[in-house]
Amino acid sequence: MSWLLQDTFGRALVQAVAVGVLTGLVGVHVVLRRLSFFTMTMAHATFPGVVAASVLGINIYLGGVVAGVLTAAAVAALARTRGQEATAATGVILSAGFALGVALVATQNGFSRDLSAFLVGSILTVTTENLVVTVVLLAVTAVALAVGGRHLLYVGFDPAGARAAGYRVRLLDLALLLLVDLVVVAIVPAVGTILALALIVAPAAAARAWTDRLAPMTALAATLGAGSAAAGLWLSRLWDVAAGGSISLTAATVLLGSLAAHRLRDGFRTIFLTAP
Amino acid sequence: MSGLVAPFSVPFMGRALAELLLLAVVCGPVSVLVFLRRIAFVADALTHTVFPGVVIGFLVAGWTGIAGGALVAALLTAVALTVLTRWGRLSDDTTVAVLLTAMFSLGVVLVSRQHSYTSDLTAFLFGRLLTVTPAQLAQTAVLAAIVLTGLAVTARPLILRAFDPIAAATAGYRLTLLDLGLNTAVALVVVAAVQAVGTILVIALLIVPAATARLLTDRLTAMAVIATAVTGLAAYLGLLASWTASVRYGLRLTSAAAVVLTLVACYVLALLAAHLRRRPHPPAATVTR
Repeated sequence: MSWLLQDTFGRALVQAVAVGVLTGLVGVHVVLRRLSFFTMTMAHATFPGVVAASVLGINIYLGGVVAGVLTAAAVAALARTRGQEATAATGVILSAGFALGVALVATQNGFSRDLSAFLVGSILTVTTENLVVTVVLLAVTAVALAVGGRHLLYVGFDPAGARAAGYRVRLLDLALLLLVDLVVVAIVPAVGTILALALIVAPAAAARAWTDRLAPMTALAATLGAGSAAAGLWLSRLWDVAAGGSISLTAATVLLGSLAAHRLRDGFRTIFLTAP
Repeated sequence: MSGLVAPFSVPFMGRALAELLLLAVVCGPVSVLVFLRRIAFVADALTHTVFPGVVIGFLVAGWTGIAGGALVAALLTAVALTVLTRWGRLSDDTTVAVLLTAMFSLGVVLVSRQHSYTSDLTAFLFGRLLTVTPAQLAQTAVLAAIVLTGLAVTARPLILRAFDPIAAATAGYRLTLLDLGLNTAVALVVVAAVQAVGTILVIALLIVPAATARLLTDRLTAMAVIATAVTGLAAYLGLLASWTASVRYGLRLTSAAAVVLTLVACYVLALLAAHLRRRPHPPAATVTR
């Protein structure tokens, strides 16, 4: 393992695979609960927290988590205001967070490089800190989902039933939002917002095309996430293109392939089942 | 008093304000429809998906190719979004997220083969609000006129579809065509705006004005008018703040970000106003209407 971490590409590969597994695990819940836009907003709205933390000299992850918690609270509060439904509230927070982050970054030097890194990441310059944070969060997430995954699913599909069964629905919803927040905060510094969204949504949606059951779906999403990340990284080196872009295009291709395969399978089934 | 007007007598500031006011006129009504149809995420996606078009347009025809490339990419996205969400299997937001990331990544991959990688991306994010050319102004005006005309013709079915899709379908409207129409309108606004004002400002202009107006009124026409007025006000105040901060106090306040933050400040004020207006007599308010 240690030989892998010596080399830049090796470190990037380890980070990419860890991120792929992590996003696959969380992505299943994001896709099932339709939280893509929230995830995108989280990625943008934690940005000012990260920038402010780096300006003030605090740990950037701390800044991101604080901004993320504020974002989740703000979206929840705004969505309950009369006439403001969740989509619009989320959009307002997204614009505000993004603009605030940009305004903060622009007061610093060398800001165009930082901004691009925020959007598309710089997985090839991943630090040891990034790696450690990702791996630790991966362990925490795996445990949390192994314990609470089924409960989250129940609350998501049937909130009224879950409430009657004695679940604290609001608390579990908040826990899921916080988990998404933590994952976004942990991986955005290394991989950027766009790639974070791509890796959270695409592998999980692809896994959704193959199975309807939670456990296999989660395992498949994690595998596809890690596979897309590794393959994308390798292709980016092969063709000398941006690593982040290459990984998210790979993830999208995997999704398209899965959807097409699903269609074909359905088609065959109809042919064989209806044949006399 | 002169401090409030003088900055805009400088040509580039005047043009920036003119561009934003033009956009305010078209974004007012469009943002109301985006709000009603709850397609804020689609609007956000469109601002990202024009990026590969911008890059390819630039590679093929230099600066003049950008608008054309963006237009093609935006229209392709509008069609792809409409078709893919109708096609089923994937939920709306998943489709949007995947299309957004895939198209944007395509742009990034293309740009990463070029030399001035980061500066191109930054220009795309921020636009070049202070270097808007008269040609760009004209281009924005033309696209705005097209969008407004289109909306004026189709406003009724679009609103009906937003409130009651089944009734709209029963009345003989093709929902797919209506969705395509609205997505195209948003796409055209994005194309008109993105080169001049950048993605951050376009997302804000498509979402925040209507959300603000909704807090102040229940009527649709009033919403569109208020949305436009708020955007115009925020454009003026934001540019003024950015100018004052940079010229007087030497602070680097990016103009696009300043306008967005002013717009968001208007939203927060409207939120407070809405709360105050309803707090004193909650039951009476419903009776008197």
